[in-house]
Amino acid sequence: MTSDELPLKGIRVADFTWFGAGPIFTMALAHYGAEVVRVESQVRPDGLRLTQPMPKDRPPGINLSGYYNNFNAGKLSFALNLGSEKGRELALRLIAKSDIVAENFTPGTFEKWGLTYERILQVRPDVIMVREPMQGLTGPHRDFAGFGAVITPLAGISYLSGLPQRPPVGLGTNYTDYVVNPGHALVATLAALHYRNRTGKGQLIEVAQFESSVNVVAVALLECAANGRLPQRLGNRLPYACPHGVYRCLGEDRWVAIAVFNDEQWQGFCRAVGEEWTREERFATLLGRKAHEEELDRLIESWTGQQEAEEVMERLQAAGVPAGVVQSAADTLDRDPHLKARGYYHFLEHPEAGRTAYDGPGFRLSDTPGGPRGPAPLLGQHTQYVCKQVLGLSDDDIADLVAEGVLQ
Amino acid sequence: MMEEGPLSDLRVLELPGAVGAYCGKLLADLGADVIKVEPPGGDPSRRIPPFFHDDPHPDKSLYFFAFNTSKRSITLDLDSADGRALLRRLAARADVLIETFPPGHLDSLGLGYEALRQQNPGLIYCSITGFGLWGPHAHYRASDLIAVAMSGMMYLAGFPEDPPNRPYGDQSHYCASVQACAGILTALIGRQRSGRGQRVEVSMQEALAMNQETAMQFWDLRQELRRRQGDVGRRVLPDGSWFRVPGIGTYECADGYVFLMVGVPGFGAPLSVLVQWMDQEGMAEDLTSPQWQQAFAQVDLRLITQLLVSADLSQAQELIPRFRYVDGIIQRFVRSKRKQELYEEGQRRGLLVAPVNTPQDVLENRQLRERGFFQEVEHPELGSVIAYPGPPYRLHGTPARIWRRPPRLGEHNRQVYLGELGLTEEELAALAGAGII
Repeated sequence: MTSDELPLKGIRVADFTWFGAGPIFTMALAHYGAEVVRVESQVRPDGLRLTQPMPKDRPPGINLSGYYNNFNAGKLSFALNLGSEKGRELALRLIAKSDIVAENFTPGTFEKWGLTYERILQVRPDVIMVREPMQGLTGPHRDFAGFGAVITPLAGISYLSGLPQRPPVGLGTNYTDYVVNPGHALVATLAALHYRNRTGKGQLIEVAQFESSVNVVAVALLECAANGRLPQRLGNRLPYACPHGVYRCLGEDRWVAIAVFNDEQWQGFCRAVGEEWTREERFATLLGRKAHEEELDRLIESWTGQQEAEEVMERLQAAGVPAGVVQSAADTLDRDPHLKARGYYHFLEHPEAGRTAYDGPGFRLSDTPGGPRGPAPLLGQHTQYVCKQVLGLSDDDIADLVAEGVLQ
Repeated sequence: MMEEGPLSDLRVLELPGAVGAYCGKLLADLGADVIKVEPPGGDPSRRIPPFFHDDPHPDKSLYFFAFNTSKRSITLDLDSADGRALLRRLAARADVLIETFPPGHLDSLGLGYEALRQQNPGLIYCSITGFGLWGPHAHYRASDLIAVAMSGMMYLAGFPEDPPNRPYGDQSHYCASVQACAGILTALIGRQRSGRGQRVEVSMQEALAMNQETAMQFWDLRQELRRRQGDVGRRVLPDGSWFRVPGIGTYECADGYVFLMVGVPGFGAPLSVLVQWMDQEGMAEDLTSPQWQQAFAQVDLRLITQLLVSADLSQAQELIPRFRYVDGIIQRFVRSKRKQELYEEGQRRGLLVAPVNTPQDVLENRQLRERGFFQEVEHPELGSVIAYPGPPYRLHGTPARIWRRPPRLGEHNRQVYLGELGLTEEELAALAGAGII
């Protein structure tokens, strides 16, 4: 399959996003054929370009961050200084040649640069403009300081996760930045593209990261709204399944997850484990197992603790029981035979960072397989191409702009 | 003119199961006609608690409600010959089919992609499974716990002294569904040009993998393994004791907890602004002294980053007693105040602070309320109106919204079977009597 056949071929994105939730969404468009032009500047580079991890045993560099690179595969980088008036004019010209424009600056930034939706409509009447502010483009908290890390506590995710006896510290990452928020932005944009395909009309889309994130705790919100009750943290347990949790295995910090949802799986579990205690009457029913859950968990761990996590997983899966290793990044990248066979990670040669791993797309299409079409760009790597091929500037124009500090 | 969603021209069949329900909801709230095809006894997710007023009835599961707004419901036994024949008729007129059965299951019923595309070459057939449709683990049984474990994201959650933590709320269902929805829409855009549909494949494990944040890259580029740390900024030393960088992390307050990220250069106001606030309230103790002000001024981004993520903490040793001292003063201040006050007043001063909101706090959040984020949905069958979170995005031209309440079981059987497929009353009664619908 050539990229000629990819569904989003011919779509151009003027990508003003930075950090996580924005670029990951536009990258998904690139995976399936869109030309995504990241507008960046040396003057104020994407914060992720300066953030670890970078290849070890080398001095840091603006093109070496794995944090940045993994979220920007296959994009073009256009160095443009939006602090200058000429820079902003060029930004508008780029937008005029684009189907989609995306940004996630603090509200007011794009307006300050004269890049309002109304102004953009004048140069591109069918534009699909996607804005991803933290809390929204309106509202009393619109200008609050925000960052991925605050969304997890703000949206209620932290309160609901983890062990009840621990403070609610969240999931260890800026969780909604990586799939939930970019995924929602992607869905909205594709829906708008679909609508434009049949009507010719574009529109403005607002994905407030707070609102997007709140959607993943909807069940708890309904319980509160309808029953007036606050759910409590349950750790790894589930009220209607038992056993359900993670169990220590051989080695340092190795765990296997086991989940039994019905009698058939419980019987499979007992066959696989084969020990006397599995046949005890008190464990024969869900309610019985629930009543003795702590002791059951201890017994299970006395069994798993003598085995490798992979071994437990294989034995239980062979008996029809949902089970899986709690994999680390070393597991998913180096050891998981399934991800390897499926080629989930793509190894691409980057001019400065070398051969590094990139996540594949989150969905696969049978006839038009997409994926990272190249490594992440160096900052400004495609400035010449964008100026000449997209904006139609001459070599003299470009030389002037460079001299004026616009193309940096 | 009636407002409509951007997908109002689409017809979607969603087969039973909890994993893909959010995908159907996203499409339905965007205006597509989504028919949920349920077994006569009801979709399995209708059994999942919590229930409205704790009544475990298939039409009262709040879990089901959360994932099934704007859809229509029909019942159909896919294991019966009549059921399969009817599904084929429905699929012939659909744009999209979503299924989450184990790989090969629908093929064995004659309802696989190859079979259905014969009569409908434009069909987008979306399959969501734990590990995808092929590969050494394709036959593995999955659940949310297994998926988040195998994806690598669970390894990063929780305190190092505890087992890894599962995130609340079936996040694998959300992530897999969002990816599936994006895949379906991408395929639809492709169909515009090619005239043909195709298969969308989502592996829950792959759909979640990006949630590892930087763990994959740390391993790939530096062979450093990112492990769970519990709270941001909390570091555990080789001897098992721990310290935290003051101003960063989760702090207990008068009515719960808040999350602070103060003193990280580039992220909101610096530590001196917090000290100033504390001083105005007489709680800064000696942190206003020149000695401390100088110490705060010396903190730079590189030091902070090293303290937060580096495996090498040798440079931190001498700083730890001072960290603990400052942190103690901050803790006393935060404990004296309520979370929404810390949030509103802290933000007013430019500090990066967020409350650890309970669901009740989220429902009452001023920003969400004033933006009209919650949508009141009438449930006449329950004699109630329930506030639902609105869609995750706002399309200003063709809105996304909850168009109808989640359906009762088989609520649209007559509408679909009689009105759209043209079955007769006798045929409907026959199917009902035989347990096919």
